[in-house]
Formats: sequence, structure tokens, C-alpha cells
Amino acid sequence: MLDDMLRLCSIPGVSGCEHAVREYIVSAVGGCGACSTDALGNLIVFKKGKKSRQKKLMLAAHMDEVGLIVVYITDEGFLKFTTVGGIVTGILPGKRVLVGDGKVPGVIGIKPVHLADKKEASEVPGADSLYIDIGASSREQAEKAVGVGDCAVFDSDPVEFGDGLLKARALDDRCGCAVLLDLIRSEIPYDTWFAFTVQEEIGLRGASAAAFRIEPDFAVVVETTTAADLPGVEGEKRVCALGGGAVVSFMDKTTLYDRKLYDMAFRLGKAEAIKMQTKTLVAGGNDAGSIHRSRGGVKTLTVSVPCRYLHSPACVVSLSDVREVRKLVYALIGGMTDDQAH
Amino acid sequence: MKEGIRIKKYDKLERLLGELACGCGCGVTGAENGAAQAAAGILSALMPAQIDALGNVRGEAEGEGPRILLDAHIDSIGMVVTAVGEDGFLKADKCGGVDIRVLPASEVNVWGKERLFGVITSVPPHLSGDKDGQAPGFDQLTIDTGLGSRAKELVEPGDRISLAGKGMQMTGKLYCAPALDDRAGVACILRCLELLKKSGRSYNLSVLFSVQEESGGSGAAVGAFSSQAEEGISVDVSFACAPGIPREKCGELGKGPMIGIAAPLDGETGVRLRTTAKSKGIPYQLEAMGGKTGTNADELSVSGEGMKIGLISIPLRNMHTAAEIVSLEDIENAAALMAAYIAERGRNDA
Repeated sequence: MLDDMLRLCSIPGVSGCEHAVREYIVSAVGGCGACSTDALGNLIVFKKGKKSRQKKLMLAAHMDEVGLIVVYITDEGFLKFTTVGGIVTGILPGKRVLVGDGKVPGVIGIKPVHLADKKEASEVPGADSLYIDIGASSREQAEKAVGVGDCAVFDSDPVEFGDGLLKARALDDRCGCAVLLDLIRSEIPYDTWFAFTVQEEIGLRGASAAAFRIEPDFAVVVETTTAADLPGVEGEKRVCALGGGAVVSFMDKTTLYDRKLYDMAFRLGKAEAIKMQTKTLVAGGNDAGSIHRSRGGVKTLTVSVPCRYLHSPACVVSLSDVREVRKLVYALIGGMTDDQAH
Repeated sequence: MKEGIRIKKYDKLERLLGELACGCGCGVTGAENGAAQAAAGILSALMPAQIDALGNVRGEAEGEGPRILLDAHIDSIGMVVTAVGEDGFLKADKCGGVDIRVLPASEVNVWGKERLFGVITSVPPHLSGDKDGQAPGFDQLTIDTGLGSRAKELVEPGDRISLAGKGMQMTGKLYCAPALDDRAGVACILRCLELLKKSGRSYNLSVLFSVQEESGGSGAAVGAFSSQAEEGISVDVSFACAPGIPREKCGELGKGPMIGIAAPLDGETGVRLRTTAKSKGIPYQLEAMGGKTGTNADELSVSGEGMKIGLISIPLRNMHTAAEIVSLEDIENAAALMAAYIAERGRNDA
């Protein structure tokens, strides 16, 4: 699973440009499931379990990640860009990026602090003033390497560090993709539908089409969620903690979760000795927001890996939490019974 | 990487820059030993080299011409650990003029008992309410080592932190890495010495890879005193043109090294550098500055009984960040210019 995570976190897949991630997953699934791609680019995989059951379970993880898109190339060859998905401007200046399918290296430039006045030196540069420098000295030269509409991701290689932590770009939500992929390649107790969705970061869009098509009775979204277990952050504002195990949410900005499923997840986790925690702040949102309102309604749960510095070039998760999430999702496949759908 | 970006001609220079900028030990101001050892190792293949009381790398060679000092600073900006928390998070302060605006979500090397990887904390949009504006201060930033209580065994206050990042070639014969201020200058001097060696002649040269430039130039002051040279050239980086920078305050990348003109600099040396560049067909740009230069040249010129000093600057973008950018061609041209200048001085003196 770690190997898949490292590979998945190295593939660019900004919302709307998820094809390379999808191709990797399709080849990794191999003969372990039946793959199909829908009109939006969602990858749907059906996996036979040991048994069939009447009610359908869908597991979902999104393939897309936040990033940048080139909107204009200046006469001098600099790329003006806008963000795709939620990225705070303060983490952009001075960061390296890879532009387009050709992964052309670039840097988000910043006026040297020596030339900045006192006000400038203590402020985050305005989003409008930012640009990507790929080293081109004219528009013509830049256009040989990149074009308007190309997406860019942070250039950030996965690094294992500290006590079992992993730093990478796009852990949100390649963690979830890696967990789903691992389940597809394992023996699972019941037939299960897997949805690798697109466009989560710009409004949970792919998942709505995937859920409509699969028509599940239950859904479990496998995600990352923000962990603010940092110095100076106290109590509920810490949200959840690295090393605290799988995060099961009762509510976030997009979904009020099914209480029975929530309670069942903790019961199952306890029985299986899985480390679990809940989210202590109603923050963030994910594909559950569109899945639970699909067709006549879907009972939905989210299981997440706690992740520090979400949507930055240096997201950090604990590998032990990823393992606990995998265990819990596996237990949920077996634990969902037909009568819980009512 | 996109095919066609790599320029084979500069492979060797790129390797040298890579080793000096991100392939060696710590080089943060005041704790330069890792970078100094790497530079001394390379220099000792070209002339006898040693490390002095302050940590400067010094090389001396005998030969033709007047004794000329070649200086570039070996230190780079970074941070210094001020406290180690039980939770594995570090507090830090600046060591040299690090640009705090680029720090959130950056990767760092923590030079404790061993080299440790760390991430500078940042607040994601889910929690910040997407409030942009004020850059955080050092009181708000912490460094996540991921080590929990074990951090206290491996890190202590005073340990240095450097900005992490690999070296990479970019379109337009450019190269990006942290600490190119001023490892680009160090690489330039080493490349110049290689060119002179190839010419088969030897000159009276003192090489100084000086410490503590970013904290005021103590290394240059003592290194110049020891060299006994009466003239010299300092190689540093200067601002390269980029959006938002007034044109008169920057040089263009790839248009050649910048020859400095300023009160602390020796006018005659500057004219000689320009004449040499013209006669050899080496491109150059002029950099005129009011008052001091903000480089080691200020210290070198008043060391001991005083020294006639020239300044060559390599244009660089994103100074004091982990993504500094220089032109490989500019470094090569600066090395060629210095080599030609030294050969010229040797001939005229004979």
C-alpha cells in the first residue's frame, strides 16, 4: 500500500486533469476488478467478494488534487495562473511547480525581500501579482514548453520522516485511492463497488455522477481530513491528531452523517481493536456531500486519514493511521448488513 | 522533465553547483562547516587549501602576477533553533535575512545530531477561512520534525536549519536550487581555477570562501587580512530582473555577469574587467550602486591596509528562498572573465 501511495503522490492530477492518476489505477487493478470510465472521467471498479448481498456498497476516493492552471502568458514569458481548488495564497510564493503533462519545472517567483519595503516584507503578495517562472524569456519561448490551460502541481517528492510519517503532495486523496486499490487487490467478504472520482476539489462533482450510476444503498468515502494537532492549537480546534487512528466524522460542512452507521463504525472498530477518533470541529467537506443526496438518498459515512497542512506542497500523514483506515474500511465491508439500509 | 531543457555543455557545472548547494552538509551562517568541507575538498585538487580560525576556506597558489584575492561567501541564509518542544515541534529564528513570506509549507533540513527532515507548519484553507494578507512572524511558525519527544534527543537550541530543495535545470539554461547565494560564486571561482589550470600557467592567487557574509562579513575581514593580497575580486549574486522589480535595480538572466561600480569598489579594476570582457567577447552588464554594495567587497576593501577590490555579480532570481535561479551561462561567462582578467594581470606584471 505504501508503494502505491508513493507512486500515486508523484502523479499530477489537478481537478479536470485526472487522466494520469486514472491510468495508474487501472493498470494497478489489473485483473482484480472490472473497470469502466464514465463521461466525466470517474473510474468505477466492480469487485466480486466471497458473497453477494442484496444491498450495494460503494467505496469512494477522489483522484483529483488541488493545483494551479495557467490562464495567460506574458510577453516576457511568465505564466499567470489561478488556483484550482482551495489553496491559501500564503503558501505559494517561492514554491516550485511542474507545469503540464510535460512536467516543465517552474518557480512561483517573489520580489527579493531586500527590495521590498517594510509593508511588503511582512505581507503575503497579492494573488494577482504572482506568476510562474519557467525560465522562458519571451511568450514565444514559453509556448514551446507550455500553454494556456495547462495545469501545474507543486514539485514535492514523497519523503518518509520522523516517527513513521510521510510528507507528500496530493495525499488528499491519493491516501484514499491507495486504500481502495489495496482492498481491490485483496479478498473481500462481499461484492463491492469502488468509485475513483474526479473534480472533488472544485465542488464534489464527479461523485454525484458516480453515485447516480452505481446506485448504492450505502457509501463509505475514504478521505484525508485536516489535522491541526500543532503547538498553540488547543481543544476542539485540533480537529484530530496524527497517530490517533482512523477519523470517523459525525458532521462536516457538506454532510450530516447517518448516526447508525457512525455508531456501527465505532462498534466494529472496537471489536477489531482498530484505533479510531472523531473530528472535533465541523470543518471541511468531501464527496459524501454529493453522494448522500444521490437519487433517493444514500446512507453515507466518511473514514479519513488525519493529515496536517492539507492542500499544501508538504502534506503530512502518519502511515500507522493509513493502516488503521484500511482495517476499518475492510471491517465496514463485512459489517454493512441489508437491514441497516432501512 | 521535458526533453530539451538539459544542456549537456553545462552538466559538469550543474554537478558542481548541485554538490555545493544541496549535496553537502550544513552551510548556514555561523555553522558553515559542511559546505566549507565540501568546497575545501574540491579546491584542494587545484591548490593547497585549509580552514582558518573562523571557518573560512583558504587556498594559496604561487605563480605569475600580483597576488590577487578571489572571494565568494560559503554561508547561506537559514534559521537557528531556539526551542525544542516535547511534541517534536521546533521554534526557530532567522539566521541571515531569510524571507519569511516563503516559509509556510516549506521543507527544511534540521542540522541536529544528524540531518533531520522537517516541514514548516501552515494553516490549510479549511481552517484559515482563506484569510490572506499578513505573513506569519517567527512567533507563529514552528517546524514539524515528526519525532515527538525524541526530538529533544536529536536537536538542541543553536542547531541550524536550512531550506531544503533539489537542484534542477530549467528552460533557458537556468538552474534552480537553494543557497545559490553564494554557492554560485564559489562554483564560479572553482570553474575559473579549472580554466587557468587548463591554460597551463600558474598565478599568485589567494582563494577565500568566506563565512558569515549574511551576518555582516566577519569571514571576509579576517580572510583578507591573512591573504596579504593588495587586490582582489569578490563574486556574489545580485538581483535578476523579474516582475515587480524596478529595471534599474536588476540585471538580466543570461546576459552575462554584472560588473559593479560603487564607492567601495576600485574603479580601475572595474575598467580592466570591462576591457577584458570586451576583448574576449564575453557579455557583461553594469551594476551601479550608491554607497556600499551589500557584499563582502565592502569588508574586503577596508581590511588591513585596504585592498583594491572589484565586484562581479551573477544575476539571481528569488534571492533568499529555496528556489533561487541563476543562468549557467552567466556563471560560465563570469568564470571565463575572471580567468582572462587574471591572465592579463599576470602578463602586464611580468
